[in-house]
Amino acid sequence: MTAGNEAQELENRLSLIESMIAEGRHTTENWGWVFVLWGVAYYIAILWATLGHTYLAWPVTMTSGVVLTMFIGIRKGRKQPGTSIGRAIAALWMAMGISMLLLFPALGASGRMDPHSFVAVVAAMLGATNAASSVILRWKAQFATAVTWWAAAVASCFGSLLQLLIVFLVAIFFCQIVFGVYAMISEARRRQQGAVHA
Amino acid sequence: MPELPELNPVIHGKLRLALLSLLSGVEEAEFTWLRAKTGATDGNLGAQLLKLEEAGYVSVKKRFVQRKPQSLYRMTEAGRTALTEYVQALKQLLGGAIGD
Repeated sequence: MTAGNEAQELENRLSLIESMIAEGRHTTENWGWVFVLWGVAYYIAILWATLGHTYLAWPVTMTSGVVLTMFIGIRKGRKQPGTSIGRAIAALWMAMGISMLLLFPALGASGRMDPHSFVAVVAAMLGATNAASSVILRWKAQFATAVTWWAAAVASCFGSLLQLLIVFLVAIFFCQIVFGVYAMISEARRRQQGAVHA
Repeated sequence: MPELPELNPVIHGKLRLALLSLLSGVEEAEFTWLRAKTGATDGNLGAQLLKLEEAGYVSVKKRFVQRKPQSLYRMTEAGRTALTEYVQALKQLLGGAIGD
């Protein structure tokens, strides 16, 4: 083997290490379906609430969303290895979810919740969680969704009820449905690239 | 250029190197996941994992999930140190090769 071939072989080994480490870490990025699921859950809750069952629509839909996310997540995650990044992301979303599940029923029960502050708080919390997640995953597209949620949080403090509804529906569409589908397509493309044959 | 044998021969095997690199990025991984990521056959993968286990670079935990056997592999501290040293040696060799 010539010195040139040996150097090439060593470089191949280094590339193999880098690609395999990245491959292991990418495992944690299969989140697209969660965004779509929650986007649909928000739409169902909004539709149900507009039909006049506000105090039933949100708690029931959100609780169903949590149960469904846990059920699908456990089934999908059974074959996936655990990573510290995955645990950090899961902790982030769980903390946000628990905050919402505690705060909103309490505000509703105390009669201190109005639609504008509800949407503003939801959007701000989703913005903060998406931003933190995007930094951990180094995912620029997710940071764009954080910025969109923050813009929606500010916009929801102003305007009429109809304008508020439009802001919320548009933010959900772009940040949950469009982003979720984009993430699922990216994940599918990565899977199609197949195994890295060692 | 320094001789290749300076590199740890247990890690230098392509599949074993891939396995250690994969395990360095996760907490623990199932046999089937490692097989999917490397594209190796069951026999070859089992043999290479056994070599890594015998060298003390990975540990294995066997359990049953829904009555199916499952083998979970985890990188040990010795494995992490060995991989770090291997990468450093590789970079030194490459530096030498560029200098030649």
